[in-house]
Amino acid sequence: MTTSTVKRIPTYCYQCVAGPDLLTVKVEGGVATEVEPNFCAAEIHPGGGKVCVKAYGLVQKTYHPNRVLTPMRRTNPRKGRDEDPGFVPISWEEAFTLIAAKLNAIRAEGLLDESGYPRVAATFGGGGTPQSYMGTFPAFLAAWGPMDMGFGSGQGVKCYHSEHLYGEFWHRAFIVAPDTPRTDYLISCGANVEASGGVVGVWRHANARVRGMKRVQVEPHLSITGACSAEWVPIKPKTDAAFLFALMHVLVHEARRERLDLPFLAKRTASPYLVGPNGYYLRDRATRKPLVWDGARGEAVPFDTPGMDEALEGRFEADAIEIGPDDAVLAEGRLPGTTAFTLTVDHLKPYSPEWAENVCEVPAARIRRIANEYLDHARIGETIEIDGVTLPYRPVAVSLGKTVNNGWGGYECCWARTMLAALVGALEVPGGTIGTTVRINRPQNDRLKSVKAGPDGFMAYPMNPTDKERWSPKPNIRNAYKTMIPLAADGPWSQALGPTHFSWMFLDETPKGLPRVTPPDVWFVYRTNPAISFWDTASVQQKMARFPFVVAFAFTRDETNHFADVLLPDAVDLESLQLIRIGGTKFVEQFWNHQGFALRQPVVTTQGEARDFTDVASELAERCGLTRDYVAAINRGVACVPLKGPGWSVELDTSRTHSRDAIWDAVCRAASAELTDGKELHGLDWWKAQGLRTTPFSQLDWYLLPTLVEQELRFELPYQERLMRVGAELGARLHEHDMRWWDKQLEEYRALPAWKDFPGVWDDALREQGGEPADFPFWMLTARSMQYAWGGNVGMQMIREVAQNIAGHRGVIVNGATARRLGIADGDEIELATPHRSTRGSAVIREGIRPDTLLAIGQFDHWATPYAKDFGLASLNTLATMSLGLTDATGSGADVVRVSLRRIGGPRKERR
Amino acid sequence: MTRWAMVADLRRCVGCQTCTASCKHANATPPGVQWRRVLDIEVGEYPDVKRAFVPVGCQHCEDPPCMHVCPTTATRKRPDGIVTIDYDLCIGCAYCAVACPYQARYKTQRATFAYGKPAAHESKRHDPDRLAVATKCTFCVDRIDAGLATGKTPGVDPEATPACVNACIAQALTFGDLDNPDSNVSKLLASNQHFRMHEELGTGPGFHYLWDQALPTGGIPALARLVEEAMDLA
Repeated sequence: MTTSTVKRIPTYCYQCVAGPDLLTVKVEGGVATEVEPNFCAAEIHPGGGKVCVKAYGLVQKTYHPNRVLTPMRRTNPRKGRDEDPGFVPISWEEAFTLIAAKLNAIRAEGLLDESGYPRVAATFGGGGTPQSYMGTFPAFLAAWGPMDMGFGSGQGVKCYHSEHLYGEFWHRAFIVAPDTPRTDYLISCGANVEASGGVVGVWRHANARVRGMKRVQVEPHLSITGACSAEWVPIKPKTDAAFLFALMHVLVHEARRERLDLPFLAKRTASPYLVGPNGYYLRDRATRKPLVWDGARGEAVPFDTPGMDEALEGRFEADAIEIGPDDAVLAEGRLPGTTAFTLTVDHLKPYSPEWAENVCEVPAARIRRIANEYLDHARIGETIEIDGVTLPYRPVAVSLGKTVNNGWGGYECCWARTMLAALVGALEVPGGTIGTTVRINRPQNDRLKSVKAGPDGFMAYPMNPTDKERWSPKPNIRNAYKTMIPLAADGPWSQALGPTHFSWMFLDETPKGLPRVTPPDVWFVYRTNPAISFWDTASVQQKMARFPFVVAFAFTRDETNHFADVLLPDAVDLESLQLIRIGGTKFVEQFWNHQGFALRQPVVTTQGEARDFTDVASELAERCGLTRDYVAAINRGVACVPLKGPGWSVELDTSRTHSRDAIWDAVCRAASAELTDGKELHGLDWWKAQGLRTTPFSQLDWYLLPTLVEQELRFELPYQERLMRVGAELGARLHEHDMRWWDKQLEEYRALPAWKDFPGVWDDALREQGGEPADFPFWMLTARSMQYAWGGNVGMQMIREVAQNIAGHRGVIVNGATARRLGIADGDEIELATPHRSTRGSAVIREGIRPDTLLAIGQFDHWATPYAKDFGLASLNTLATMSLGLTDATGSGADVVRVSLRRIGGPRKERR
Repeated sequence: MTRWAMVADLRRCVGCQTCTASCKHANATPPGVQWRRVLDIEVGEYPDVKRAFVPVGCQHCEDPPCMHVCPTTATRKRPDGIVTIDYDLCIGCAYCAVACPYQARYKTQRATFAYGKPAAHESKRHDPDRLAVATKCTFCVDRIDAGLATGKTPGVDPEATPACVNACIAQALTFGDLDNPDSNVSKLLASNQHFRMHEELGTGPGFHYLWDQALPTGGIPALARLVEEAMDLA
């Protein structure tokens, strides 16, 4: 490349789950200088082809002076935060030899250790985004065999955990979103889409606001999203379930029945199913199908009887059988049954707005008004035509944020949100509350095809077994998701959807009944920094220091790879090669009218000795004697797309290794074939020039309802008979093995979720630590930052510079009146403390936050990452305690800590 | 005639700073220099608080105070409204920076880089002519001129449009010709409530803000003052 050439090279950025963004990089004389949107993508991208601020950090990332640019080996055998690792440069040959020796020793000894856990573990960063950078490494993982990918680095506390599990269970919605282009009224409980929704989220919501959509932001602080909303409701932390229950109360106890979507409830949900005296469905004796009361016949009939007139409400008597956990017959004969809807209405009776006012500190009149506005906008009975098909049109939705979703109260909030949609028929229809993607059900790239008929007229769901024959107290990996969390299922993502903190917690003391949790013999780490990003970071650091052999793919030194034995410099975003799927519906607000593929390609020469991840994976496979299985995995489609289809094949020879370009050339050809039904087989060079290619994706496929109608299925709402049964069975299995440490979590398996004192959970946690709530009166929360979230870009000077234009990036946000009361001025150094820990930072005084709430944006408190270690920012993760008590039944915890606050002194000098 | 102008829709802006970052890329500004940036302002007291994000930068005034104080005529206004600085003429006296009511001007005395020493991309684009002189937003005038020369329309065709507008992920920034009643900016201003900062100074800013939400007591002038105060604090 001569110094005079100027090129614009297409590629993608997938630093966060709201991607990918399609961009071009201007390259001048071989040096990347400028990021721009890929204007060619404007027509097919749902965010106008624009690029988020994080992508603009990629140039600085490429030329970052603190990059690790050669493999490094640790020379200090002692590991600890205060130990200098003594990293020295080594050759790739040395590095591979070192790693392969460890891996081959494991293969010789056995892939599982004495506890039955995989000897090799791997942890990757949030939301599956590292998979868009790790080339063919997933094929190496597939070839390897059992691997523990359940050591958490943020999963469960920093994600949308309850939504992932319950959303996918109820409506194939691993992530839930409003149908923003058509929604007219959106209640957003803490969902901060303007900070975490990426380009498409921001684009769609900006259009919706100008169009006139009213968004009510319910959140303890006035977030970016709150700022952009029509109304801000400053709710007490962790009381969202009470607010949502009160909205439901207004809908079913104060509004006229016909204001609800009664046909939807009767035909498309289990509302008419009869529930027996023991809380389980009344079933037909012969078929064991749930019964409903047919008003026309005047008798109970199976739920799928043609031509029936389902009674939505009432109490009836039926000749039936009631079957409980483990197929136990609980009752048989003439049995009293109540419709699930009636039980739900009764259940919601106590949750009036007046009751909720006392819980969540939102005036009853305001709750009532919001509920009625929701109803006013629901357009019951109206329809809309999408691509020639007439669908219900219900332009109201409810979205939930991270801390609302996670930990105790998550189940209740998810249920209430989904029920608010169901009550007005706004679930999975235009304008309503819809899902974007599936990660638990398959196929993962087609949400609609993942719908398969299951029991009782509902969708099938691959629960982990709880029956006596198949349940096992010996989990396959350390976080025990398969044993403890039925909803986590057992697919490729399930390991990360379990209680991922257990892998760390149980290293100290494994609870009764589980095999002793052991450190992995080899731990791979990539695009993640659990020593900063998880809760209880000090404890996580102490534990990773015990791991005997850690291989970290390293961009710069950081707090996690401080404990590594080998650092491997992988080629970064603008240096490496990979093809990924784009479009369809996926992750956060990503609703496209197209689908296809995009290529990430080297726009500049790789710096130093950094290597493309695919080359690293191929080399590791070869040195471990796994080439055949590794290439076979690539052929199967583990690296994006299967290499064989009807009438065409570009499969690779499994008897030998292949170069990076040869592999991706084959993948590119397969992708072309998939898009053209085998007519075209464009290779890597074509994709390098084009950057992306798509085909149309019907907007009809944004909505699940037509698929359910086609298959004559119902949403599994409102009554959670299956969850109650599964919970009872799980409890029985655990108790049979004298495992009683999960009893509190088992209480969550209720058919109708009830309000519990969720804020009190954090009071209890405080008391366990020896504190009294009165002494720690503040709720410390965190929130995503548009500039940083998921990006791993904390060391980018430019990102920091622009982020500081937004309040909270310089310190902890404190309410003005609170600050005055405590004598704190803007910029003062403050300390936030729990009974045993503290963190310090600067005060940022704002009015847009509750007086009892403190907000620390993002995740900081770095001590090893160059540049970031000088920020001096407080971190919630430093204070958060990992505990069973704070873990809900899905294995998640919430980003909340009760703290004290005091002024330390005047403005602290920035350390840089 | 042509009058290039920027419209910032405050209903849309989310403060993401993508425009800020894209400006830094397009114009290779050094650390701390933000020809385009977005303020984060608050109005009111808890719980009656409004928060808004306000893009700011050179307003390309009709009657620019910076131009009048420039002792060397380095600062000029083109017939199309774009205020320019001739770095060859600028002596770095900074009178303009003091005179500008919008705090839009920067002066960098010595070369600064993100991490001390220049990285490859910084070396490639470092321009010593920009040291010890006043700099500011140019409305990406080079793009406009190059685009016009090839028949492109600024504000419509990306090649002829300021980088911040191209980059905006909320469609909050719009650029176009105010003298053309059919331009995107003219249509936006004709159909929405809008204001300019420091209207009372008679500078005739070429930067217009759309705002349709409830206004603080005192109406648009009061809102403009809040933005101005925020700028002073920023």
